[in-house]
Amino acid sequence: MGGISSRSIVRTGLLAGAGSIYISLVGLYTKFADLALVGEQITLGRVLIVAPALVASYAATRPRIVAGERRSVELRSGVALGAVVGLVGGVVFALSLVFANWFGVDRIREIFVAVTEPLLDFLTFDKGVPAGLPILIGLCVAGGVIGGFARTAPAVVRKPVSVGVLAVVLLGLLQRIVPIVFVELGFEADWLYRPASGLTILGATVIFAIAVVADALWNREGGRTRDRFRATVEEATAARVGLFVAILAVLTILPLLLGTVISEVLGQVMIYVLLGLGLNIVVGYAGLLDLGYVAFFAFGAYTTGVLTGAFLNTTTGAAEPVLSADLNFYVAVWIVALLAAGVGLLIGAPVLRLRGDYLAIVTLGLGEIVSVITASKWAQPLIGGPQGMRGVTKAELFGFNFQDNPQHFYYLALAFVVLAAFVSWRLSTSRIGRAWNAMREDEQVADAMGISTTRFKLLAFALGGAIGSLGGALFAVSIGSLTPASFEIFVSITALAVVILGGLGSIPGVVVSC
Amino acid sequence: MATATDEQVRGAHLGLLDRFPWRRIVLILLSIVIITVVAVGAYKTLTLPADERYTATTWKNFIVLGLAQGAIIGMIALGYTLVYGILRMINFAHGEVFMFGAFGAFFFADAWEQSGFLDSNPILSMGLLLVIAMLTSMGVAVLLERIAYRPLRNAPRLVPLITAIGAALFLQNTARGFFGAQSRGFGVPEALDGTWTIFGVAVDRIQVVVLLTVIVAVTSLSLFVSRTRTGKSMRAVAADSEIASLMGIRVDRVIVTTFAIGGLLAGIAAVLFAITFESVSFTMGFRPGIAAFTAAVLGGIGSISGAALGGVLLGLITSLGPALILTGYGIPSSFQLKDAFTFLVLVLVLIFRPGGLLGSGEAEKV
Repeated sequence: MGGISSRSIVRTGLLAGAGSIYISLVGLYTKFADLALVGEQITLGRVLIVAPALVASYAATRPRIVAGERRSVELRSGVALGAVVGLVGGVVFALSLVFANWFGVDRIREIFVAVTEPLLDFLTFDKGVPAGLPILIGLCVAGGVIGGFARTAPAVVRKPVSVGVLAVVLLGLLQRIVPIVFVELGFEADWLYRPASGLTILGATVIFAIAVVADALWNREGGRTRDRFRATVEEATAARVGLFVAILAVLTILPLLLGTVISEVLGQVMIYVLLGLGLNIVVGYAGLLDLGYVAFFAFGAYTTGVLTGAFLNTTTGAAEPVLSADLNFYVAVWIVALLAAGVGLLIGAPVLRLRGDYLAIVTLGLGEIVSVITASKWAQPLIGGPQGMRGVTKAELFGFNFQDNPQHFYYLALAFVVLAAFVSWRLSTSRIGRAWNAMREDEQVADAMGISTTRFKLLAFALGGAIGSLGGALFAVSIGSLTPASFEIFVSITALAVVILGGLGSIPGVVVSC
Repeated sequence: MATATDEQVRGAHLGLLDRFPWRRIVLILLSIVIITVVAVGAYKTLTLPADERYTATTWKNFIVLGLAQGAIIGMIALGYTLVYGILRMINFAHGEVFMFGAFGAFFFADAWEQSGFLDSNPILSMGLLLVIAMLTSMGVAVLLERIAYRPLRNAPRLVPLITAIGAALFLQNTARGFFGAQSRGFGVPEALDGTWTIFGVAVDRIQVVVLLTVIVAVTSLSLFVSRTRTGKSMRAVAADSEIASLMGIRVDRVIVTTFAIGGLLAGIAAVLFAITFESVSFTMGFRPGIAAFTAAVLGGIGSISGAALGGVLLGLITSLGPALILTGYGIPSSFQLKDAFTFLVLVLVLIFRPGGLLGSGEAEKV
């Protein structure tokens, strides 16, 4: 079929079935069963039923290189192939449900906690096992057909339809955010979204139509404009600054549109942006994979607490730490950053000679040492140990309270992010940035060219540490109380994910990927 | 000597910061500080007033506990070392492979505990549990290699490492989705409760079982690697995979075999770990995984005997260290800092002797 062996088609189908079974066992279906995207019928859970077959058949119909020639699959065979993939996947999935029904859901549940009666009901559309299975298989076949279509249809049809569908799904997923923006802007949102649920059918149709038209316009008229736009942004500094200002303006008005709940999320996102920017200096610019970044985060948070007069939590109430100061936040934060830079030097000095994966492991170890110590009784007199601290400063300034009002906190965080982004932008284009670049690409060559790798590695650790500690300081202010549970390894991993997702060494990337 | 020549060559055109042997001075100071801290702590602990001092039995228990846990850690460390020896890659997800083995055994142990099979046939049931855990871990390890690592065989070195971290998170979350987030109690046969007296020392039966199993497993592994044809080809690929493939060795198959063996050992370690701590949870792989990696580095990564030795040493350090050193300083609940000790050992080994105790100290691989 289209030059693709039937064995590989069946194998792809089996993979699709395995994917569906995996999603069931992990419990994603149960979790998203009721999250409506469009109308009442199209829920995220149901989209997930279609998805494995769709993805599998999209992958199966990819163009292949046969005898040195790139051969794409034709539409008719692509759709047929997708249907077969979907059918195989659906039958496998259905058979697994038959097995579950025969074997007994409760007995499977002893091992796989996600397998429940509601899951079975959901997957059989409340019709029970034999009766609901044709619908399930049908959906999988539909998924396969869509996947094959999405790959093999002519570009004129394929592109606008994909853009439209993606727009609908995206806006459906943003159902918590978009209606609030609409209401804050003074528009009605009732026609677009059902109350506290997904899009209405009318809304989805409108969005689909808009997306299709926009895509068509963009393709026909936009080609040249787009190229010119890109060229301008790449060449003229003024245009780039303009773009930057525009983004900043959007970031500035965002919390006003979104209300307090989402602003709180945004504030936390900003903290991660800050961590990402700091880690970007270490990993992205200097190429030193640091998995213990949480150490700086924790250091920043606890030092801020200690310097601004926070209390220790004890079983009997509150106690003064053995070492404490009562500084203004805006004084303390610079001391914190300086100290963290010093810690960065301390950590950096002994590991200078290590590279790549060994460096990663050592820093991971150092990060874990910090989180073990913060959670231990030994650290109790200074930073509260397992009980933590509370009463961190609210960083009041001109009557703004940055702890209790998430919208205000967002601006504080934004200010720090802008500062950090500016610093790393200036650094990256400077001599230091070029030295880091050279060091990352090849350390020995850089050394031979007269770049002091010692100095620049230490500088990267110190700067990265300082920015990470600012993230910690902000975190301490935003949450007001500190417990060791906030400083686990996953902070390092998330920050690293942010950096990698955004593209190593790119500032806008870091910001966007958050 | 090499450092001195480096210093001379480099010093000619660089500033004070580089000409001055900072690194060496920092390292010497660091080692002086560490030795003093350890010596003073140990002295203080041992000269505590008699009623606060640990008794000889307590010390013996610490040692046996350290040996048993170190043996388990060593088993996991073998998995790291084997893979690193062949692929020069840290299989970060190995701790999760271990965790899946423990869950595989758990469901059978649970069922057999209820049916009474576990207590009536302790030897048979423990043997079966080992086999089940070994097969589960092996399956996960082989899948991991096939899906996550093989496509990246020739990518730059940081890429597989980051993938491995991602795979570890993926496996952990999968286990949470599959088996639930709470930790579960692992049944142990009644025959293994209590102690046996060996050479006048009362030793927990479980620890005896652990030590014996590990000795058998490590012996068979080293026999396998040194005597069989497959073992020989593993060593050939570790030495130079390109030339090995020219000599007609199927490198891909050797790599899969290596992952499979690592998985088998992790499965054994998982059962031993589960009966020692009597619980399984989806996060149980992380800390032992890191500890095992530390052990592998401590012994010299890539060396089989090194991993076993490193495991035992690390076990002893983490069980004796906090008691011996920290108690002297009057630090409360020093055992909470046990994991910090693991990481401290790791960091120090990498700083002072990156090649490990039995390694060759090749700086270039570092």
